[in-house]
Amino acid sequence: MSKFEYLMPSTIDEAISLLVSRGERAKFIAGGTDVMVKIKEGKITPHYLVSLRRVQGLDQVTYKDGELRIGALATHRMLELSPVIRKEFPILIDAVTNIGSVQIRNVATIGGNIVNAVPSADGAIPLITLGAQVRIRGPKGERSMALEDLYIGPGQTLLEPGEILLEFVIPKLPPRTGAAYVKHTRREAMELPLLGVAVLMSLAEDMTTCTAARIGLGVLAPTPMRARNGEAILKGQKVTEEVLHKAGKAAAEECKARDSIRGEAWYRREMVEVLVPRMARLAMERAR
Amino acid sequence: METLSSVGKRIPKRDAVDKVTGRAAYIQDLKVPGMLYGKILRSKYPHARIVRIDTSKAKKLLGVRAVITAEDVPQIRYGFIKDQPVLKSGKVRSYRDELAAVAAIDPEIAEEALHLIEVEYEALPGVFDPIEAMKPDAPLIHEENKGNILKIPWKLVAGDVEEARKNSAFVAEDRFEVTWVTHCCLGTEGIIADFDLRNNLTTYRNTQIPSLAQRDYKDALKVMGLPDAKVRIIKPTIGGGFGSKLDTYGFEYIAILLAYVTRKPVKIQKTREEEFRYTSTRQPAIVQIAQGCDKEGKLTFRDISMILDNGAYTSWGATTPSVMMMPISSLYKVPNVRYEAKCVYTNNTWSQAMRGYGNPQATFAIESNMEQLAEASGIDPLEFRMRNANEPGEVTPQRFKITTCGLKECIQEVSKRLDWANKKKGPKVEGRGIGMACLIHVGGGARVYKSDGCGTIVKVDDFGAVDVFTGSTDMGQGADTVIAQMVAEEMGVLCEDVNILDRDTDVCPWDVGAHASRTTFVAGNSAVLAARRVKERILNIAAGFVDRWKDKQGNKHEIKLDTDPKNLTIKERMVYSVKEPEKKIALSKILRGAHYEKDGTMIMAEAFYDPDNENLDREFKGNLSKAYAYGAHGVEIQVDKETGKIKILKYVAAHDVGRAINPMLLEGQVYGGTAMGVGYALTERLILEKGEVMNPNFRDYKMLTAKDVIPIEAVIIETNDEAGPFGAKGIGEPGLVPSAPAIANALYDAIGVRIKELPMTPERVLKAIKEKEKK
Amino acid sequence: MKKEISFVLNGNRMEMEVDPFWTLLELLREELEMTGTKYGCGSGECGACTVLVNGKAVNACLFPAVEIDGASVTTIEGLAKGSGELHPLQTAFIEQGAVQCGYCTPGMIMSAKALLDENPNPTEDEIRHALAGNFCRCTGYVQIIDAVKAASHAITTKGEMRPRKAE
Repeated sequence: MSKFEYLMPSTIDEAISLLVSRGERAKFIAGGTDVMVKIKEGKITPHYLVSLRRVQGLDQVTYKDGELRIGALATHRMLELSPVIRKEFPILIDAVTNIGSVQIRNVATIGGNIVNAVPSADGAIPLITLGAQVRIRGPKGERSMALEDLYIGPGQTLLEPGEILLEFVIPKLPPRTGAAYVKHTRREAMELPLLGVAVLMSLAEDMTTCTAARIGLGVLAPTPMRARNGEAILKGQKVTEEVLHKAGKAAAEECKARDSIRGEAWYRREMVEVLVPRMARLAMERAR
Repeated sequence: METLSSVGKRIPKRDAVDKVTGRAAYIQDLKVPGMLYGKILRSKYPHARIVRIDTSKAKKLLGVRAVITAEDVPQIRYGFIKDQPVLKSGKVRSYRDELAAVAAIDPEIAEEALHLIEVEYEALPGVFDPIEAMKPDAPLIHEENKGNILKIPWKLVAGDVEEARKNSAFVAEDRFEVTWVTHCCLGTEGIIADFDLRNNLTTYRNTQIPSLAQRDYKDALKVMGLPDAKVRIIKPTIGGGFGSKLDTYGFEYIAILLAYVTRKPVKIQKTREEEFRYTSTRQPAIVQIAQGCDKEGKLTFRDISMILDNGAYTSWGATTPSVMMMPISSLYKVPNVRYEAKCVYTNNTWSQAMRGYGNPQATFAIESNMEQLAEASGIDPLEFRMRNANEPGEVTPQRFKITTCGLKECIQEVSKRLDWANKKKGPKVEGRGIGMACLIHVGGGARVYKSDGCGTIVKVDDFGAVDVFTGSTDMGQGADTVIAQMVAEEMGVLCEDVNILDRDTDVCPWDVGAHASRTTFVAGNSAVLAARRVKERILNIAAGFVDRWKDKQGNKHEIKLDTDPKNLTIKERMVYSVKEPEKKIALSKILRGAHYEKDGTMIMAEAFYDPDNENLDREFKGNLSKAYAYGAHGVEIQVDKETGKIKILKYVAAHDVGRAINPMLLEGQVYGGTAMGVGYALTERLILEKGEVMNPNFRDYKMLTAKDVIPIEAVIIETNDEAGPFGAKGIGEPGLVPSAPAIANALYDAIGVRIKELPMTPERVLKAIKEKEKK
Repeated sequence: MKKEISFVLNGNRMEMEVDPFWTLLELLREELEMTGTKYGCGSGECGACTVLVNGKAVNACLFPAVEIDGASVTTIEGLAKGSGELHPLQTAFIEQGAVQCGYCTPGMIMSAKALLDENPNPTEDEIRHALAGNFCRCTGYVQIIDAVKAASHAITTKGEMRPRKAE
């Protein structure tokens, strides 16, 4: 494996300035489960790794007045075991519980997962579907944006060199809202998904009319995507099997499924049609 | 049934203590002083001329001790038709081809040196489909041949298939295809090769064929100009075999060459990626099959032809037809049989032995097609199988002599435990189905070579510890433990007093190898024979033995054992007179007595057991094994018709094992075999595109995880074969033979869709469902 | 530039210099010659290299060695007591037939230990979930699950290992 220096700052600002000072030859590393693999495969050859593990205060999960804040350095395992996430945001449990293994989840951070920006994005899809905002700090200061807007291409985000994700903020959801995510795989563990489908449904008081819907799709485009046509079909409608079916069909048509060694495009599109209604139903159950 | 003390007991595997504490040393863990690390440069093209190789820069790298290409070393050829040189020159025929090798003081430097080797290629058109490769204008893989079809005459004929077909009431015909899968041993392959200064070679190698590997190495050493060199093979603890170590491979010869050239020990250890890319696979096959039966459902004929992708070079995969003949001729009673197989060179990877050795492939086709035939005849598939089930005492069209046969009992277990009759009759749950398939496998050794033998030496020390030197190989399956149990039982000693030594060819007797599920049967019989001889010697010495001693008060005591050894027995470290059990003397006293006297003697015996089975003759007929293992698997599944995913609700694996020497270890073989079989059926596939492996990692090669639950019941049927040690037959491979067709048949029962290609992925299932809906 | 670290390894205080690019697996196997932790794939996919860092199961092959500074590391070599008494998991693996070739065993036991330390009475689903990242090709996982259940029983009842299936 290539040789590198390993720097261990203890504050965010120290981390940022270390990275900036070493320039192109430096890379951030959090849990390491993506970065170490890329180094071993020769895909990246950094001279410096700037570790974020010792940076304090970025791994908290707080829930106040309906708003959920997740520190970017929280590990997937922390999220998996968080009582508040288990109770209030089961869609996130759907996502994290099957990312890699316990060994991976014990060190891999949600921020690292997002920044890695692979289309499979088990972490990103549910967060986007929940309407997450992401707070970023860099050499030029802090900024925020919708998580959805962070992605520009496979493996590519809008992050400038030296910028670090600080936290994800999920704003308070409307009452009677539920959300669910499924990672469609061949075997029951250790899988990157064939595709991922997340659906969030907000219901009116009659509990059958959809007031708002979000559909997030993973592995079905170069970046995590929202199936806006599908969402439009659900919004304002009394939810029936027919409506769900139409929404699924629309989402399948607007996604950009591709063939890869992990799966074929036609099958992925078929699964969007099948899984959008299933996740919508589960989301509605959770809304009750 | 007699009460046994060791045989039949759930005794833990004896090396488990070392394994759970991390003390067991695998090839990965071994270091020899002064050791160098070897790495191999592989081809960048699937088919190309080698225009130029320049190793000069690599040789100059600090820490590099040797760089070799085909030019630098004598040409050693290997593989059972010797079509593969160890280092390639002239041209490369696959991505696996080795062009050069480096030995350096650490693996990183060796890897860096590989990048400094300059190779100029001239790409040639490649062929990656055996059917394409058979065409007259296909690129020629081996230019010394006229075409790409191997001249191996796999053909088996019994009776008159054409005539039988004409007279059949029902016929079912179809095409099935199976692809590459790989062993996925958790311990990757490796070797350390070391020459002393008299040119004697020692290797540390996790091999399943120590005796045959010795011969392979000696053949290579002859080519290297060292005809008198001695070869010693030491086996570290083996981290999985499953057939992957039944041949001698290029990287082993390369390690030997590097060790010779540097006069230092050289270790070559595959990384996981190298293991996926460069290890030979299970043999793929395209199978055309037709079977027929009469009005009562009795089979009339079986007609099969196969095309086998032989890859770029020939290894054991090309001999799988010899084993495929076994289910083809002898699974169920089928009077007329015809089989032929063609092996075709391509620029793909090539295949070796893998658990089942052709049987899973053939059985997938046969048992799927049996179900089609049963449907055509209107007979329930389980009943159909019962009507054709083999029985003890029959001789099959391949001249196999079936001694014990528990096939019917196995089928009945499946029927009972799956509640077959009720489920078939009763109301159907949407997407749910049951299916089954049976198997035959060799269970009493297999004379695939001229010898099917195994040697054992048993030595007893002064304290009653029994050392058993066996030629057999334990690779985790439990050979060490069951041999100890059988020796303990035969001799009357405690199992924990038996020590198994199987690691060193300098010390251990000859054995043809851990293949064909033969170890319990052949090595067991060999050990029992040697143990019996040792026991005789002990009892002969013990006959009339007098033990005199004084107690604390100074009184003299004397015990004299019966003078007839036939009246003596050994139990719990004592030798008893059977008629007067209170007359007993410690075994250790007797053993010491053997040589603490004039005309002393050692307590040792040897036995070589080679079963009374036959090589297949020119027509591929003969009683290949001394006993045959039978079994039946049944499975209940739930299909998600919208996604095509299959969930296993219940799995019954019933096996006729003759006798379970160790039920706990035996169940382990069934559970492990079934998991491999279900993976073969549903998820596993080594994906090759134009000859290149596209999924060389655990992420994308879908071996089953702990969360892929198979709710399995392992049922042991004992038929007590008199040729087997304590009645035992083999079990290593049968566990995975019928899994795929059992699931395919359950799928058909569930949703009326038959998948004829493995793996039965959700895509294939969904596609088939949609096509059915269109009709 | 080498870095000085101090950590606790199987209950023993350690101080050493490590290269910044080492993984924990290399530190254990190459530097300390503790070969109980295995190399299976090098990319965090098979679990053969599982060790505990501060009680949490991690893949040593991806864990930067410098990050164990100040931490407590447990490997398979540290499970049995100094007296030679085996951990209930080790005993259970032996007695339930959970060990065949044994290559996955150290990693499997460490993952199981992390589970039982956190959840002494897991359900079968919880056991499978905890072991999802530990691959085994020999056993089909059945007897491994049995072993974890047996160990859990022994630990929670502080009594006899649950007897094996009837002879």
